[in-house]
Formats: sequence, C-alpha cells, structure tokens
Amino acid sequence: MTDNDTIPKLLYSCYQKYGDKKVAMRKKNFGIWQEYTWKDCYEHVKYFSLGLISLGFKRGDRVSIVGDNDPEWFWGEYAVQAIGGVAVGLYVDSIPSEIKYIVNHSDTRFILAKDEEQLDKILSLKGELPQIAKVIYWEDKGMWKYEEPLLMYWREVEEIGRKYDKSHPGFFEEEIEKVQPDDYAVLSYTSGTTGNPKGVIHTHRTALTCSRNQLKLFPWTEEDDYLSYLPPAWIGEQFLGIVGGLLAVPRINFPEEMDTVTENIREIAPRVLLFNPRLWESMAATVQAKMLDAVRINRFVYNLALKAGYEVIDYQMEKKKIPLVWRWMSRLADWIVFRHLRDRLGLSKIRFAVTGGGPLSPDCFRFFRAMGIPMVQEFGFSEILPVTGHANDQWDVDSIGQVAEGVQIKIGDDNEILVRSEGLCLGYYKNPEETKAKIVDGWFHTGDAGYVDKDGRLIYWDRVKDLIELASGAKFPPQYIEGKLKFSPYIRDCIVLGGKERQFVAAMIAMDFDISGRWAETHRLPYTTFTDLSQKQEIIDLIKKDINKVNQTLPEEQRVKKFISMHKEFDPDEAELTRTRKLRRSFMEERYKGIIEAIYSGQDVYSIESALVYRDGRTGVVKADIKINSLE
Amino acid sequence: MTTKDKAGLIIDNISLAFGGVQAIHALSIEISEPEILGIIGPNGAGKTCILNCINGFYRPQKGHIFWRNEEITGLPPHKIAQLGIARAFQNLALYNGLSVLENLMAARHMKIKQNMVTGALYFGWARKEEIEHRKRVEEIIDFLEMEAIRNKMVGSLSYGQRKKVDLGRALSLEPDLLLLDEPMGGMGTDEKGDIARYIIDIYVYRKIPIIIVEHDMRVVMDICDRIVALDFGNKIAEGTPKEISKNHQVIAAYLGKGEER
Repeated sequence: MTDNDTIPKLLYSCYQKYGDKKVAMRKKNFGIWQEYTWKDCYEHVKYFSLGLISLGFKRGDRVSIVGDNDPEWFWGEYAVQAIGGVAVGLYVDSIPSEIKYIVNHSDTRFILAKDEEQLDKILSLKGELPQIAKVIYWEDKGMWKYEEPLLMYWREVEEIGRKYDKSHPGFFEEEIEKVQPDDYAVLSYTSGTTGNPKGVIHTHRTALTCSRNQLKLFPWTEEDDYLSYLPPAWIGEQFLGIVGGLLAVPRINFPEEMDTVTENIREIAPRVLLFNPRLWESMAATVQAKMLDAVRINRFVYNLALKAGYEVIDYQMEKKKIPLVWRWMSRLADWIVFRHLRDRLGLSKIRFAVTGGGPLSPDCFRFFRAMGIPMVQEFGFSEILPVTGHANDQWDVDSIGQVAEGVQIKIGDDNEILVRSEGLCLGYYKNPEETKAKIVDGWFHTGDAGYVDKDGRLIYWDRVKDLIELASGAKFPPQYIEGKLKFSPYIRDCIVLGGKERQFVAAMIAMDFDISGRWAETHRLPYTTFTDLSQKQEIIDLIKKDINKVNQTLPEEQRVKKFISMHKEFDPDEAELTRTRKLRRSFMEERYKGIIEAIYSGQDVYSIESALVYRDGRTGVVKADIKINSLE
Repeated sequence: MTTKDKAGLIIDNISLAFGGVQAIHALSIEISEPEILGIIGPNGAGKTCILNCINGFYRPQKGHIFWRNEEITGLPPHKIAQLGIARAFQNLALYNGLSVLENLMAARHMKIKQNMVTGALYFGWARKEEIEHRKRVEEIIDFLEMEAIRNKMVGSLSYGQRKKVDLGRALSLEPDLLLLDEPMGGMGTDEKGDIARYIIDIYVYRKIPIIIVEHDMRVVMDICDRIVALDFGNKIAEGTPKEISKNHQVIAAYLGKGEER
C-alpha cells in the first residue's frame, strides 16, 4: 500500500505515518476543541465501513451524505470510498424534491444525515426512496421522537463494525487494497440553472489529480490550519478539504456551529481559507460597517491607512517599483491598523485567502489586498478543478490567474475556453448525451468565453451565448467591457453596442453626476443640469481618456470606436435597468434606436427628444443635442 | 395523609388573599410523576400566584405545600431552590451585564461547594469543581443551541433569546421540578415552536415534572399531558387537553357566558 493512488490508500498511509502523534481534525463541542488524531480518524472510518458492510453494503454502492461540516461528513466519505463505494454530497439547504431527485438518480442505498432537520426532510420522502437500506444520523439530539426502523445512530453502526472486525480481522485493509484508481469515488451534482442537476463523475485518479494540481497553486503543509466551512458537497471543499486534507495533512478545523464561525475563525487563525465571493464580500462589508461606527479618530487613521494600502497595491499591480515613501507608509499602516484588523477577522496568520466558485468583485479583491491579506482567485468547474489561479503571488484583478500546472487550455470556436487535464471528470452519471456534448476528444467545453493573454493569464469574458457578433464576424463580450468601463469613476452606467449589421463597437455612457459634478466645481466649470454637464467637452474628454485606457487592454476588434455621453442616467423607473440594476439590453436598443442609428451612420450630433416620466406620473419632454464622439 | 408515600409536589387546599382580593381559593393540585402540567386561566386568575407560592415568594394563608413528603410552605425561596425546584420567570431574572455563560454559571452557585478563598486561588479541588460545573453549563448551551451567543452580554440579546437564557438558567440548577412562567410570552411563532420543542425535550431527557403557565392555548393543548384551568383563584376544571377543550366552564371563563336559553 505505498503508491497512494486511491483516497483510502492515502488515508491508510496517513494513519501509518502519523498514528496518534498528530491531530488530524478538531471540532468545537461543548465550548472546547475536541481533537481527533489520525489514529482516531482511521478507527472511526474503519469501524463505520465495517458497520456498513454488516448492514448489507456492496462494492460500488452509492451513499449520499448531507449535513454541516463535521468530522463525520469526512469520515463518512472516506469510509464509503474505502470499501469501494461512491460518495454523493447533498447540500444542507436542499429541499425534499432535490434530495429525492439526486438520491434516486444516483441509486443511493445509504444516506448519512446529520440531524433532525435533515431527517425530517428525508422521512417526508419515505415512500419515494424505495432503494434506501438505512438512514444513518450522527447527531442524536431530539431523536427520541422517531420510531423508524430505517434510522440508525452513527455510533451503533460503529459498534456493529467493531464486532465485525473481531470476526473478520484484516478485512478492512484488504478492502482498501481492492479499490482501483479508476473506480468511481465521488458523484458531484451540479446545480444546473436549467433542467435537473447533473452528476459529475470523479474517480480516485481524477479527484487526486485535481487535488494535487490545486495544492501546486496553494502549497500548504503539515503545519497549516485549515477551516472547513463551505459545503463539503461542493467540489471546491471536496478537493481542498476532503482530498486535500489527506494530501497536505494540515489540521482541519470545524466550526462549532455554522453561525459561530466568525468567533471560531479567530480562535483558529487559519493559514488556508476557501470562501466563496459572497462570504468575502460580507466580510468586507462588516469591516466597512464597523468602521462607520468607529469614533472619528479611528476612522481617520483607518482611512489614511487604507489609502496607503491602495497606493502600494496599485504599484504592485502595474508591476512598478514602489517608491520608498509609500513602502514606509504602508508598513506603518500595517503596524498601526491592518495588523490588528486582520487579527480581528481571524486572518492574522493567513497565507492563502482563496476565493472560488464565482467572480469576486475587483473592488473587494483590492480591498483585502490593501489590508495585506493574500487574496487569490481560483477558477474551475465541478468537471475539472482547478483551471487557473493566482499562483506564487502573481495576482491581478483583470485576469482569473495563470493556467494551473498540469492543465492545458485552448481557445475554441466562438472564443470558448476548452480545458484538458488528467483531472477531468469521466462525464455525467447516466447522461451520455450531455457527456458527449461537453467532453469532445478529451477537451472539456466550458461554455465560457475568454482568452489567454501574452503573460499566460486567462481573461474571463462571459458565457459564450452572451457574446455579441460584429459584421466582421468577430465577437465581443459586452458585460466584460461594460464592467471595465464602469471602473472609471466618471462612468456610472453604460451599454456597449454591436451586432451583425454593425462594423464596430460603440458605447452609450451615463456619467456619474456626483463625481463629474464635483470635478466640474473644482475646475471652475459652470453647468446647470445633468444634460448640460454631460455635453461639456471637458467631461467628454475625461470619459474619453478612461475609455482609451480600457481600449488598451482589449483586442483591436473589441475596442470602443465611438461613444456618446447620455443626457440622463439609466433609470430603473423607466425600465432601462432592472431593480437590481442589471441592464435591459434589448429594451435600451429599442428605446434609443434613433441615436444608435446616428452613431453608426457617422453623424456628429444627434438631437434627442425623449419622453420623461416624473415621479408623480406626469410626463414631459427633454430636448438636447448629443455629441457623438470618436476614439482613435 | 395517604399520599405521603408519593414523592412529588402536593398542593393541599391552599388559599391566598391580598387584603380583600382572593387570589387563590382552596386549591389543590398534585404532580408526582414526570409529566407536563399546564395551568391556564384568564388574566388575574391566579396562575402566577400558584408558582409564587410553590417557590416561596408568597406564603399562602391557608393550606400546605409538600415536596417529596416534606412541607415547604413558607420556606424562603433559596431553600426551596436547593430542594430542586427551579423556575423560569415571566419577566426575566437575569444579570444583564454578564454574558450568557456567566449567567448560567452564576445560577449554579448554590451547587458550588468551594468558598471564596479556594475559588479565588483556583487550585486543586476548586479547579476541578469549576470545570465540572462548566461542563454541565456547556451541555445546557448545546441543548438550547446557544453556542453563537455564549459570550454575548445578556443585555444585548433579543427578548426571545433572553427568554431562552432564562430557561437555561433554570435548567442549570438541574431541577427535579421545573416551573415555567409564560416561557413563550412575547415571542414570535417560530420562537414559540422552538421553545415548545425544548420543553418536550427537557421532559423526555430529564424525566421530571414540569409545570407551565402559558397564555397561548394552542401550545398548551399541544404539549401538556394534563391541564388545570383556573378562574378567579378557583380550580374550575382539570383533565387532559381534550377534556379541557370541551369543558363548558372553561369555555365560559375564556369566552364569556352565552345567554341562557
């Protein structure tokens, strides 16, 4: 058992190597950290496996696991895999119909569930899950009320396993030997936005490859502390926590309860942390909200420190040398403010603050970086993880990182990102059509568009289906360009235009009235209304400068060639934006048909007459001459 | 007395009056086996007065109260608490300036045997004892799912959370009889459901008699094994929830009398 080519073999070698000398996991319970050494973990896994076997588990059986992050979740998965089974993760907040679909689709025979809350859902489906042999729970609080032969307590299963071990010594180790690298290890159901969830198949080989590639991006060691917080059913936690935990052998920490995590994280001070963008953003929001409540002097110092932090990361991003003044300033800021702030957030020892599972807003990214938190992005899919990441501190906010080691990327037709690696999943469980459509000649078709720049960084554009084509046949990602334009302080909203009958990309810009207005005041530029200010040449030049900057980062055919500064803001009340401020593209194109035609027919000025709806329901008309501006 | 051999609470014919107001009139209640006993009645029916008599805040002018074959009528409240009768209050009795954990630890003080000096030195047996108490308190925190507020000041908590802490405080006395005075007063439907679940769990795990005074009839009907209905200090009915809900006197006391036909 030395080649460590399956997950159970890895577990066995960790047990052999560390035994009871090293703590593998700890979980806070009754206010105290309860520690489990590798020996403890191995024994729990072993007896639980044997218990499952006594209950009629057969090799290849699927076992669904649902519950909060607990050692039992991890042990359950290890146990199932050790005896040739496949683990299927379910999300804690899954509703009964989702549980039913996944459990039945995966032919699950055993369900491991944490507590009453999950059992209530499962038992409500009782007649509809015919193939289930047992439902095993690991927290017995409030369980007295069930008299249900289907249920069994985790410890009882381990007890049966202990007896089985006495009559079959060495059986478990033989079972581990029998597991092959190409056996299924995990079925990870992805929450499809359309249709039913798909079960992504990972074998021991692909899971280990993905996890190893991930560790090359974020190399952690035995000395590190890891906080397991994101759902283990999610592929990120599968590969970083469950499999990565065996490869890197850190100490894995579980929060006491999901809502004590902010308290626990401070006690743990993890060195590696994987959060999704929503969690990072809420952490950033908490800091900002707390700072607004702070006394004035604290707020003043904090703002100064943040300024120094931003200054330094701007130099870093542009790969320029940081002037000595700022270097000292940032060191001072760190010493006075950020050091304490990081400690408060539980990030005092952080080495890798990983964000994954979606794009993190650049503002938020810069905010954490400015505070001296080593934020890194990881990009990947349930099918193949990781694809790219910010390795070795090579970070920036434009790209989603360098292509990970062991992974190949190719840009296909329609600018689609195609990915290949040894960690690519086998396909989708019981869904050969989808598998054939997504995996062609070993390349995974992501459905996402982007390109790899000259430094080998992947730039993410958009979903392929959202790209817009130009007359030349070239395509561009509207949201991506709009996002970049909106980074300019003078631009509040914008829409970029194109289409099969149009030759180039154009943009309609709604300036930021507050900031532009302030600029006008400090530069002694008189103006009356929004419409008036928007057509001032000085303001147009400001916007032009920023568009030019964005253009520099885009390929030639995607650059904005013409733009107008709108006479009014984009307004949800007029249905130009949704209530969540998303652009309603087709409505806008229809509404401003006249001006768009003027832009593409080469006019210089367009007289607009637009109907206006006042708040009280009356309507009025605004007349204005709008300049059409060209960029070169 | 024939009931002497039963080791429970016997309220034998007590009466309590404040000047001319008769709060309790010749009332007898017995609770000996583990069960959830509900006391209901309109406002001013004397429900809380009964609890006050049991735990020694009031002394009934007539009648006797026995707990485990021992007369407790007129004993001071702290003596009664030491006999294993704990109470959660309608209007909360917590230290607002202490954390949840400290409140529960403080509640255990009568179980703490060390004195101030050994406690301050925190040495040897005193230390061992403190750890043991903390363990018990942590079990209650786990039971009532209060981990996230463990170190919060009680004064900063919501009303519903404070009610829960008050219940925890009563529980940390490890009582043999639990008196709950409107444990769900002023709570939302969700919180009520939680508290009802905890009360049933306490009953199931600790197997102790619980007396609960509550306004919410739906909850009382759902969780109680037996109900005593009061009106102006008189017991007007006693029985299972089903019997009570059909009792004419109870309906009349709650809804007013219909016209005689």
